[in-house]
Amino acid sequence: MNLKDFYWKLTSVFFFFAVFVFSSCKKDETRVFDQTPDTRINDALTAYGSALTSSATGWNATIKTGTGGIYHFHFRFNESNRVFMYADINLETATTEKESSYRLKALQTPALIFDTYSYLHILSDPDGSVNGGTNGQGLISDFEFAFDSLATDSILLTGRQNGTKLTLVKATQQDFDAWQNGAWANVLAFENINSIQNYFKRVNIGGVNYDLKVDPVARTIVFTWVDGSGNIQQFVTAYNYSATGVVFVSPFDTGSQTINGFEIVSWNAGSFTLSIKVNGTQATIAGATQPLKVDLGAPQRWWQYAINNGGLYWISLNGFHVNGVEDGFGIRTLPNYYYLIYWPDYNAGNNDLFAPVFINAAGNGLELLYGAAPGTPQFTGDGRAIFTLLGNYGTYPSTGPAALTRTQLLIPQGYYFIQTGPTTYDMVSALDAKAWISWQF
Amino acid sequence: MRFIKSSLLFLLGLTILASCKKEDPLNVDDVSGLGGDTWVKTPLDQWLYDTLVVPYNIATKYKWDQSELDLNKDIVPPDESKVIPVMSSVERVWIDPYILQAGELFFKKYSPKLFVLAGSANWNLDGSITLGTAEGGRKIVLYLLNDFKNKSMPGYVPADSAIPKQMFHVIHHEFGHILDQNIRRPTAFDEVCKGLYTADWINTNDYAARQDGFISAYAESSPFEDFVEQISIMLIEGKSGFDNIVNSITGTSIRGTTADQAKARLRQKESIVVDYYKQAWSIDFYALQSRVRTAIVNEIY
Repeated sequence: MNLKDFYWKLTSVFFFFAVFVFSSCKKDETRVFDQTPDTRINDALTAYGSALTSSATGWNATIKTGTGGIYHFHFRFNESNRVFMYADINLETATTEKESSYRLKALQTPALIFDTYSYLHILSDPDGSVNGGTNGQGLISDFEFAFDSLATDSILLTGRQNGTKLTLVKATQQDFDAWQNGAWANVLAFENINSIQNYFKRVNIGGVNYDLKVDPVARTIVFTWVDGSGNIQQFVTAYNYSATGVVFVSPFDTGSQTINGFEIVSWNAGSFTLSIKVNGTQATIAGATQPLKVDLGAPQRWWQYAINNGGLYWISLNGFHVNGVEDGFGIRTLPNYYYLIYWPDYNAGNNDLFAPVFINAAGNGLELLYGAAPGTPQFTGDGRAIFTLLGNYGTYPSTGPAALTRTQLLIPQGYYFIQTGPTTYDMVSALDAKAWISWQF
Repeated sequence: MRFIKSSLLFLLGLTILASCKKEDPLNVDDVSGLGGDTWVKTPLDQWLYDTLVVPYNIATKYKWDQSELDLNKDIVPPDESKVIPVMSSVERVWIDPYILQAGELFFKKYSPKLFVLAGSANWNLDGSITLGTAEGGRKIVLYLLNDFKNKSMPGYVPADSAIPKQMFHVIHHEFGHILDQNIRRPTAFDEVCKGLYTADWINTNDYAARQDGFISAYAESSPFEDFVEQISIMLIEGKSGFDNIVNSITGTSIRGTTADQAKARLRQKESIVVDYYKQAWSIDFYALQSRVRTAIVNEIY
């Protein structure tokens, strides 16, 4: 055997060995799991399905949307793919149980799909007018969920589109009753706070007056008060509901007590007052006609700001809020209405301009058709601005929304100004605080 | 070299012997979801089966299935209570007129086979909304069901007519595409407004488009869309509605088309469409138009 033959044989032996190793297969597979993926997913779906239908009194569900709001639901699932629910979204959803459908499906992971429209979908509805969210995404929520975990009394899920977390906790008969006998609907009476016609909503807690500003869409409350040294203080918290009242996400430490929420007692539609309990003590939220502390310089600041920043104007999209009605004069119903403007010092040194602005006929620009010409406002020592009419531009209508809006502007009592942001002011009627307009720059 | 040859043979034998028997391919597990989604049928499912599946083999998917819609959009499923009103309107405004005018065989052969329903609109990034889409002559997606109201529903006000009308427009538009894809429209149609088609149609409006001889802004996008916009708007507006549109054109367009030229173009397109329906499908377009318009009037006016 020469060296070359030996070399070939040796290579061949290695080669055969290698081929043998690669071509052989293991006959008895041992799986990491003792079942196939299909069997396991079917088992999982069955387990989740029977868990959902196992609770005759249903489930307490909590969801936190992408915009930060916390909402509570009550779900009852039956074995025929039907789900019955209540929700603390609005009075109707808290009062009337709605039936819709659901199904479980293997979508990479086991998933729970609320597959026809229900209260849950209100949060996800991309039409901003449905839920107060942004057009195209609503409140950023979900109705198709992947199961994260299953315990005896709770199920955790994660939304597949926007990743919202949904928690289901088995409800007791008492929980179910709270929905059925209207406890949740009663609590939602809190949102009536915005039907109080006055701009200022005031409550006295522990001897201190607080003004409340409630945003029911973002679910936030702003407390405003005057501290011991006479300075205005603010505290902001997100809130959500429980079966008995409003729960503050951040407890409010007033200095003398810690407030975790309001217990809602009742809404009085006759007097526009809301009865609540704060740490067990009765209190009443009612309208007020004047700010807690008048911002004396605000009217002049507002007027001067526009002049100092390019000689431009303030705009308001919705016109006056009057007696509890947004756009109370219907200025937005004017054909091609775009916004309402107030232009300080429009005719330099002589008069201002107050007018609705319209979209022009070609649809590619804005135009003024007419306007009111108030003189420079009278800034009073007690922090009001009073507008008087010097004349008009064009033919100002004598009836209709524009006329009513102009009349409102000219009330002899004038207006308080509340600065709500760096370039936003609310101008509130000094007559009764039942009319106001929001200006932005 | 002989050694190598015999080695290769041996290797082949070894591979054959060493390879193992694979599992019987017929022995598969119970694959979840194979054969489609299942749920306990309700009267609604039965209605859809009896009304659309049995006679026309048209399926209606009203339960959420994201794979049928844009995956990156927030869309919600329809409220169950809206499904029957919408689909029976669709039957009256689209199915019935075509069957009466062109026969059942025609309709069964060419109708799209799947309707997908969504409760909300499909919001685009630019803030506009899509109210209907279609794919491959087979599937039509209808949006905004939750806002659908027709005359027979409580609380109907005339302003509600916009949504059903848009829905009927979408269906007739998409069905026009199917007809066009089966028998191509005459090339003469594409010549009428040659040179005026533009991708910039989104920045124009119906009024300006009509001044150039297009029935709608979207018709400016391409001859394909122009043809089916022409069909669908003529059908849903009816003869006199279409005449009103044509007669309302005044002034000269930005691109220099006079009102008379624009009117002549729309009339020319009208006659091409009528002729196409006659030649290609043996359908009397004007008779069909009056059936569709009558149905729409009954529905929303």
